[in-house]
Amino acid sequence: MKVFAKAGAWFLGVVLAVVAGLASAQTPVEVPFFYPVAVGGPITKIIDGLAADFEKENPGIKLKPIYSGSYQESIAKALTAVKSGDPPVTSILLSTDMFTLIDEDAIVPFDEVIKTSDDRKWLASFYPAFMENSQTGGKTWGIPFQRSTVVLFYNKDAFKEAGLDPGKPPATWTQMREYAQKLTKRDASGNVTQWGVQIPSSGFPYWLFQGLVIENGTNLMNQAGTQVYYDKPEVVGALQYWLDLVNKYKVHPPGIVEWGTTPKDFFERKVAMMWTTTGNLTNVKNNAKFDFGVAMLPAEKRRGSPTGGGNFYIFKKSTPAQREAAFKFIKWMTTPERAAQWGIDTGYVAVRADAWDTPAMKKYVEGFPAAAVARDQLPFAKAELSTHDNQRVTKALNDGLQAALTGTKSAAQAMKDAQREADRLLRSYK
Amino acid sequence: MNGYAVRPLSRSLETFGAWVLGIVWVLPLVYAFWTAFHPPAYSTDFSLTAPLTVANFVKAWQAAPFARYFVNTVILVTMVLAAQLVLVTLAAYAFARFRFPGRDVAFALVLVQLMVMPDVLIVENYRTMTELGIKDTILSIGLPYMASAFGIFLLRQTFKTVPRELDEAARVEGCSPLQTLWKVYVPLAKPTYIAYALVSISYHWNNFLWPLIITNSVESRPVTVGLQVFSATDQGIDWSIICAATLMTTGPLLVAFLLFQRQFVQSFIRAGIR
Repeated sequence: MKVFAKAGAWFLGVVLAVVAGLASAQTPVEVPFFYPVAVGGPITKIIDGLAADFEKENPGIKLKPIYSGSYQESIAKALTAVKSGDPPVTSILLSTDMFTLIDEDAIVPFDEVIKTSDDRKWLASFYPAFMENSQTGGKTWGIPFQRSTVVLFYNKDAFKEAGLDPGKPPATWTQMREYAQKLTKRDASGNVTQWGVQIPSSGFPYWLFQGLVIENGTNLMNQAGTQVYYDKPEVVGALQYWLDLVNKYKVHPPGIVEWGTTPKDFFERKVAMMWTTTGNLTNVKNNAKFDFGVAMLPAEKRRGSPTGGGNFYIFKKSTPAQREAAFKFIKWMTTPERAAQWGIDTGYVAVRADAWDTPAMKKYVEGFPAAAVARDQLPFAKAELSTHDNQRVTKALNDGLQAALTGTKSAAQAMKDAQREADRLLRSYK
Repeated sequence: MNGYAVRPLSRSLETFGAWVLGIVWVLPLVYAFWTAFHPPAYSTDFSLTAPLTVANFVKAWQAAPFARYFVNTVILVTMVLAAQLVLVTLAAYAFARFRFPGRDVAFALVLVQLMVMPDVLIVENYRTMTELGIKDTILSIGLPYMASAFGIFLLRQTFKTVPRELDEAARVEGCSPLQTLWKVYVPLAKPTYIAYALVSISYHWNNFLWPLIITNSVESRPVTVGLQVFSATDQGIDWSIICAATLMTTGPLLVAFLLFQRQFVQSFIRAGIR
C-alpha cells in the first residue's frame, strides 16, 4: 500500500509539474529591458533584432527592449521607475552608477543567479579591468557589455608634414608635448591654424583627466567607493601637465574644449592629435579624409587609461523567474560571438578575451588593426571614477578641473577645493 | 526744433536694433537649414558651391519611425490643449466672477502650483499613472498638464477686465451663467486664448523628459523622444542628421507660425505676455 501511495504521490507530483510547466509556457515571463544609446548607427534596430532572435530561441521569455535616452536619462528613468515601484527587470546603465544603484537598494548582485560552474567560468571570462567597476564588497553587481577606454587618435599626414614618423605615435608625456609643439601651426599674425593636441573638457572632463592621473602613477578613488584622492601630489601634477600644454607651451586650445565637436576638429585638421573614446573608432574611420593612427595613451610613470561605458544590471523588484530569464538573456548577449559582433557594429571594446579569437573579429582586426589598440591597452586600464553619491562627488572634480582650465584657480587650489567638497559628501559612507 | 531732428535718429537706431536681434534669433535656424541640406563635410564649411543633398532627411526618416511619432505628438498637443481650454475657462470664470466659500484659498493653491517645477513631480506623477494603469499611453503624457495653473491665472486676470456692465446686460437679457461665459467672456478673451494656445502647444511639442520617462513604446512616444537617438554623446554629434531631423519635426510648427504670425504677435501684445 505504502508503495502505491508513494507512487501515487510521485505520479501526482509529475502531473502537477507538467501542468505548471504548461501554464508557465502559456504565460511567458516578461522581461522589460532599458537600454541607452550613446553611439551613432541604427542601434535601436540592432537591439530589437537581437531581442527577437533571443525570443525565438527561448519561447518562454517575452523580452521588452525599451530605448531610454542617453545614459543620464536612462538612470533618471530607471530610478523614477524604482521609486514608483515599477522598475525594469534588467537595464544597461553606466558602470559607474553601481554605487548609486546599491545605495538606492535598486539592484541585486549576480551572485544570486550564478549557480553552475559554467556560469562561474562565464563570469571569469571578462577582462579584469572591466570587472573593477562591476564588483565591490566581494560581490558582482554588473556585467560588462558596452565598454570603452580612452585612446589617442593622430593625423598621420600632419605627422609627415611636421617631419615626424607617422609610424611612431608619442609614447611618453614628454614626447606628446614635443610632438604637439611641432604639430602646432600658426599663421602670419600668430593665430593657431592647427593645434598639436586636444583633450576635451566639457561634460565629463574627469574621465579623460583620469587617464593622466593613472599615467602619473595613482588613481582617483578607492575600490570601496568611500574615499577620493583629488589633492594627492600626483593628481595635482597630472593637472599641471595639462595646464602647461595650454598655458606654457600653447599647443592645446585654451578654455573648455567641447567633447562633442572634438572629432569634427580632428576631421577638419584643426587639431593633429585628440584624446577620445574608442567608441569613436567607427566614426573616425568613416569621416577622416586622411590617413590616421590610433595609439595607447602616452606614459609618464606608467601607461594607463580609465575604462568607461555601460554594464548590465538586474533590478531587485522582480520575480525569481524574471531574474533567471534576465540572466539567461545577459549570458546570451555576452557570448564570444555576440560580444565580438557588438564591438564590430559599435566600436566598443569586446568585453572578453575569447571574443577576439572569433573568426569575425579576427577578420575585422586584420582589415583594421587600429581596433585592437584598445584591447592591448586594457592590461594598463583602471576602474573609472565611481563612488557613493557618484554624481556629486564627480561634479566636485569636474568643477575643479574646469576652474583650473579656465584660469580661475591654480591646479593645487582647484584640487584642494574639490577634495574638501568630496570629503564632505562622502563623510556619511565611511 | 531739436525733437524733430532726434526722432529719425532714434527711429533708425530702433530699426537697426530690431534687425540685429532678428538676425541673431534666426541664425540657428539658418544654420540648421544649411547643415540639413549639405553633406556632413560642409556642416562648418560655408562655401556657396557646396553640393546640395536631401540624403540627411532620408537617413533621419529611416532611422526612426517618425511618421508614428508625428501622429503621437499631434494627438498629444491637441488633446492637452482641448482639455486645458475647457478646464481653464471654467476654473477662471469661477475664480473671477463667483463668490464661494474657500475661493481665495483655492486660488492661492492654484498659484502655488505655478511655483513648483513640473520636473520635481516626476516620481509622484509616475506613481499616479502606474496606479491608474495608463502608463505608456499618450494620455499619461498629457494628463498631469491638463489642469494648468498658468492658464487659470492668465484667464482669470483677463476675465476680471471684462466690464461688469456687459455681464449684467447679458443676465438682463436672460442668459444663464454658462451662456454669459460663452457669449460675453470667451469672445472678449480671444487674444488671450490664442497666446495661451501657442505657449501650450510649443511647450508640449518640445517637452522631453517626462514623455521619455513615462512611455516605453513607439506607439506612444512623441517626436522629441525619437529625436534623442541622434544625439549620440559618446562620439560627438552628427549635426547634419540632427538638423535634418529637427527641421522635419519642427517644420509644421514653423509653417503654422509663419502663416499666422500677425495674429500671434497681436494677441501676445494684447494679452500682455512677452
